[in-house]
Amino acid sequence: MDRLLILPIAVALLAAAASGAAAEPSRYELELGADISFIDASGYETWTDGGPGKLRFDDDNDGFVLSRAFADYKLRMLDTVDARLVAQFFDNGVGSTVDFTEAYLEWRPMTATANRYRVKLGAFYPHMSLENSGPAWSSPYTISSSVLNTWIAEEIRIFGAEVSVSRRPQFLGGAHTFSLQASAFYNNDPAGGLLAWKGWSAHDLQSRFGDKLPLPPLPQIQPGMWFQRQAPFIEPYMEIDDVAGYYASGEWRYGSRLLLRLMHYDNRGDTTGFADGQYAWRTVFDHIGLQVTLPGDIGLIAQWMDGYTLMGPVINGRNVVDAGYYSEFLLLTKAFADHRLSLRYDRFEVSDHDGVPLDDNSEYGDAWTVAYQYEASRFVTLAIEWLQIESYREAWEYFGLEEVETESQFQMSLRLRFGSGP
Amino acid sequence: MKALRAQAYTIAMAWLHGLLLLGSGIAAATSVEVAVVDRNAEPVAGVSVFWHPPAELRRTAAVGATAVMDQVDTRFVPHVLMVQTGTSVEFPNSDTVAHHVYSFSHPNHFKLPIYKGNAHPPVTFSESGIVILGCNIHDNMLGYILVVDTNSFAETDEHGIARFTIGEPEGEIAIWSPRFRDDPELLVKPLDPASAGDVQIGFQLSKALRPAFDEETKALSWTDY
Repeated sequence: MDRLLILPIAVALLAAAASGAAAEPSRYELELGADISFIDASGYETWTDGGPGKLRFDDDNDGFVLSRAFADYKLRMLDTVDARLVAQFFDNGVGSTVDFTEAYLEWRPMTATANRYRVKLGAFYPHMSLENSGPAWSSPYTISSSVLNTWIAEEIRIFGAEVSVSRRPQFLGGAHTFSLQASAFYNNDPAGGLLAWKGWSAHDLQSRFGDKLPLPPLPQIQPGMWFQRQAPFIEPYMEIDDVAGYYASGEWRYGSRLLLRLMHYDNRGDTTGFADGQYAWRTVFDHIGLQVTLPGDIGLIAQWMDGYTLMGPVINGRNVVDAGYYSEFLLLTKAFADHRLSLRYDRFEVSDHDGVPLDDNSEYGDAWTVAYQYEASRFVTLAIEWLQIESYREAWEYFGLEEVETESQFQMSLRLRFGSGP
Repeated sequence: MKALRAQAYTIAMAWLHGLLLLGSGIAAATSVEVAVVDRNAEPVAGVSVFWHPPAELRRTAAVGATAVMDQVDTRFVPHVLMVQTGTSVEFPNSDTVAHHVYSFSHPNHFKLPIYKGNAHPPVTFSESGIVILGCNIHDNMLGYILVVDTNSFAETDEHGIARFTIGEPEGEIAIWSPRFRDDPELLVKPLDPASAGDVQIGFQLSKALRPAFDEETKALSWTDY
């Protein structure tokens, strides 16, 4: 991470937080959370310990663990300006135990026109996931995010600005909202590296600004090999080439019935860039997300993503790393009073186009997730989840492992929540 | 509770108004029954029905008339509130989060400073018209206040029926709902001053209704992060 950019933001927000702590109650919202979990997992050694596994836990983690804690703080500095600071605890050795996942200012001017404007400045998630609408970007439906959103949590964050304009056309009755977002950002040049070299995953981790996400012991990053300069981890939030990336997105929303999101992301990484053990990757994707309330009050969320990532010089018409990728999922959920049942099916693929030996990043697979939640009170929720992911990954052969593996994870969490959250 | 109390108050005021008119002998109250059906002849509930009296019979509410537009679970409750011009509308916030309520609808535009609880004096709407409400923090919140020049109004029940009394069978009866796609000019019917006795009026919509905007649903979260 480029400390130069984020440090002033964090300092400003911390100062705001300190001054805001004494502010009147309507001026801030603070949501604190802690998840105490029982784990029973099987499969390859988890990627978080440098293994090839796709899940957060493996059988070494079986038993009880404090799996997550967070503080999601929002201060209304002015009527139209919010500061938001999200700190998360994950005890998995990929960075400090506590670090920030988001820190930004949001300005919502009151303009006396039909257009509504929003400006975000700082470090934040792109306007994309339909799953992670809870405090600190958690999912109200499952413990682990979909494969698609897990990758967003691992490698994608916007260090920059986002401008959003929305409008409710009166000829449609005023209940339809259309909005457009445009964003320019820095500090996301290594994004795509983890997807190519580790592959897709499914878990509830989110990379924090200073995290170092471990890569498996790939042959191509060993001494004497093509990418020997690569550190054994990806540090996703670094600026390497001093070129800004961008994303553009659009949204159509009808009340609490329908939400459609489209997005194009391009980090515009210079594929020859390199700094401090990290290559710059050119990572581009398109995204479509749909959220609908079906008859019978059943909720449906579907997201689809397709893109490519490139790294290194062009040899024989191809970058030395050239991978296409796609992922999609369908989630159905229904609430019965304080109980909720959710079912999700994920599919994913990475296709390797470069033909560089000992660097075959191709994989494909699918995953099923079944989740149950019981909200005993505003403060305590019991969440139970079973997740199974079956994958074929070519590179597992390099470690003397089967190329096809089914991994599963049972997790039962007591989720404690305090504060005045949304 | 507050909304109920306000509604009861409004009804009581309407009764009182009617009684006064009767007592003073200025005008005999005429009962109006309005039925609203959709294009398939099915009754439509929740439609605002009101008298649009001729200019000389337009009245503003008595000083002190109040109504309540609450905010519950980041929704405006009720979704549509009908009041007489001159009514003071309270905007309590029953949520634990702050709201920042505004309207840019002319001529009844206003904005409240950001708040929790019952922090503001009420807003008095002195001009008739539709006031579209929003929250600057929660973009998806949408509510309406329909301000009319009379206290003769009601909302259709589950049978699509609304009943109220008017002073004289003059002017027009109008219906409104944010779910209507029909031309508003078709949703007004003149009253016949020569008619004697109670009035019954039917409206049939020619276009399909828009789906209800804000049905209470727990299936999905619609809050933005």
